[in-house]
Amino acid sequence: MDGEEQIDTAPTGHGDEVEVGFLAPRIHAAPFPGMQITGYVLSMALTLAAFGLVAYHWLPLSSLVTVILVLAFIQAALQLGIFMHLREARGTAWHLPVLALALFVGLGIVGFSIWIMLFKSGVS
Amino acid sequence: MSMREWITHLIKLLFPPQVLLPDIVGIDIGLTVGAIAIMVYLTVRHRWGWLWREWLTTVDHKKIGIMYLIAALVMLFRGGVDALMIRTQLIGPRAHFMGAQQYDEVFTTHGTVMIFFMAMPMVFALFNAAVPLMIGARDVAFPRLNAISFWIFAFGAILLNISFSIGGSPSAGWMSYPPYSELAYNPGVGENYFLLSLQVAGIGTIATGINFLVTVLRMRAPGMSLSKMPIFAWSALITSSLVLFAFPPLTVALGLTMLDRLFGASFFTVAHQGMPMMYVNLFWIFGHPEVYILIMPAFGIFSEVVPVFSRKALFGYEAMVGSLLAISFLSYGVWVHHFFEMGAGPGVNVFFGLSTMLIAIPTGVKMFNWLFTMWGGRIRLTVPMLWQLAFIPTFVVGGATGVMLAAVPADYQYHNSYFMIAHFHNVIVGGTVFGVLSGMYYWWPKMFGWKLNQRQATWAFAFFVAGFWVTFMPQYFLGLEGMTRRMATYPAGLGWTSLNWWSTMGSYLMAVGFLIMVYNIIWSRLHPDWDTTGDPWDGRTLEWSLPSPAPEYNFARIPHVRSRDEWWAMKREGRTDDVKISADSVQPIHVPRNSAMPIMLAAAFFVGSIGMVFSWFWMAILGGLGVVAALAYGSFADYSELTIDAAHVLKTEAAMGRVDS
Repeated sequence: MDGEEQIDTAPTGHGDEVEVGFLAPRIHAAPFPGMQITGYVLSMALTLAAFGLVAYHWLPLSSLVTVILVLAFIQAALQLGIFMHLREARGTAWHLPVLALALFVGLGIVGFSIWIMLFKSGVS
Repeated sequence: MSMREWITHLIKLLFPPQVLLPDIVGIDIGLTVGAIAIMVYLTVRHRWGWLWREWLTTVDHKKIGIMYLIAALVMLFRGGVDALMIRTQLIGPRAHFMGAQQYDEVFTTHGTVMIFFMAMPMVFALFNAAVPLMIGARDVAFPRLNAISFWIFAFGAILLNISFSIGGSPSAGWMSYPPYSELAYNPGVGENYFLLSLQVAGIGTIATGINFLVTVLRMRAPGMSLSKMPIFAWSALITSSLVLFAFPPLTVALGLTMLDRLFGASFFTVAHQGMPMMYVNLFWIFGHPEVYILIMPAFGIFSEVVPVFSRKALFGYEAMVGSLLAISFLSYGVWVHHFFEMGAGPGVNVFFGLSTMLIAIPTGVKMFNWLFTMWGGRIRLTVPMLWQLAFIPTFVVGGATGVMLAAVPADYQYHNSYFMIAHFHNVIVGGTVFGVLSGMYYWWPKMFGWKLNQRQATWAFAFFVAGFWVTFMPQYFLGLEGMTRRMATYPAGLGWTSLNWWSTMGSYLMAVGFLIMVYNIIWSRLHPDWDTTGDPWDGRTLEWSLPSPAPEYNFARIPHVRSRDEWWAMKREGRTDDVKISADSVQPIHVPRNSAMPIMLAAAFFVGSIGMVFSWFWMAILGGLGVVAALAYGSFADYSELTIDAAHVLKTEAAMGRVDS
């Protein structure tokens, strides 16, 4: 919010810090959690929108799935960016490569599940 | 009359047909009397304050580890009694000790208790007892969260365990497949107990995963890079990441089933276009990594035990870490092998069959590394080492039959037969249980300060392992003879009688082994053989540089780690005095304060869950409000740390002879 402020990195002394640009330490400091409150309101709105779409049949089924997926991705980005400190790290930002791995495994599970459950379309 | 017929006859005399075994009313009375007796004892001996201060509100990882261990051993007893009931029912053809419904409830409870409430807490007990000490930390990263994890797990376990006497047990197997687990086929509250207890305990498990992930990554002593970390800490790191990825699909599967049962949704019902097989898919996305969550810590334990009792550094450290990582990665791509028969088609089945077989490669690497560590070493046959030696052939057989099961066409024959039952008991008992028992005997002196009698422990080992082989080897052949799992009874003349009789006898031998184990613990407590050195096994890693049990703050002075087996290197290089402090350098130590919030939070979860089980929604809301209140209190409470002043540290360390003069 109020500008990015470089803080002293706290070396852990384990010897597994690295010098890679996008993993460099950075941290936000703001006196008032304005971003968090905005994020909270936005995520509530996104959740209610998704619920409303399903409960009140605002959209036909074909476009419903797409819209809900888009809402879900925005929601996930909000959560990661605002509440899960995606862009912040006191030391090397090790969580970024780990998050990429999580995304890989998560998408793999979803993709495989679709592939596995496709047999339903052959049966029914 | 042959000996075999005579024993069967004797058991039938003792337990006449169709008597509920054990009689639930009798158990209820026994539990009530026991609870009253404990309360009277605590009141008479004025131990309530002690119990509250020292245990119920503690955030010390060492005490939480001990509580996990006690809970796990109690659950091992409960799950073991269920196993004995199952085996007694199957001792001969047409034996009706239990009705089919009760038999279903017993095997469901056996599986659920053993996986979720015995194996998991046993693993977490050893994580808590050993990991912070071996990485040179004063506690886990989030001590209060650690206490929350334990109490949520404990109340989840209580929830499942009271089901049989209050309302009815779940009966749909430990996987609880729909549609049988749905309301249409399974009315009553039993399944609700299953869903809620696993859901609640799962929260605790995920929190433990986060805790140990951060602990291992952030709390290591200076100088301990990832490549100098003990393998058990590596296994804790990898297990924790598996927990984080694996438990959310279970949460989703249980949550959707709960919506089906309690609120009339139809995610997995047969009616209204539900997809029961989607539950199976979600469950095994969790379920397969779960079995690696159970076995990885055992791999870690053996990687600690083998070098210590062979007096050699671990062979192929990098290959050990690499194979752990490879197994954990592969474990996400194999789950369909639990349901090849669903009919997803040859493409899907071949892919998952092959990926399953791939896992045998890194596992084989580990086997050879343990063997090469022992090769040429000076082996001491202590109890932890005996369990390790028993593990190797057992796990090789279990792994090989696993590869047999992964062959898709053959799996159409093996699936859900006793061959499969024998396989997974072979790997879970022979791998995980042997592993955690090895770890329990290994770290027991560090946890309690006294050693377990080795001779008695060896007898327990001998009975348990012999019983294990006698129980499960016949089951492979029963499977090949066509006996399927979960049969409440079977007719004579199928060639199953003799194999089943032997299997039952084996389970009794295992029970004797367990009884000796309990006797061993009680006897050794009454005749304590105190571990005054802190290093009873001539260990290699940092936990053995501490006194047994470690003081509240673990390390008076955080060590600077220079090599992989740091304590061993210190002993070789004559640097053991490095662990001592001197009167002028001693610093005050900050430790987290006790907190009543974790047990209150867990109790609120318990109340809310009871409300959900019986659909008393006022009670569920009450419990939910309790959870919110506990969390709010936890967020705003004053958490100033407790400071142990330097004089007290000096006095404690001096009493243990750890101060430089």
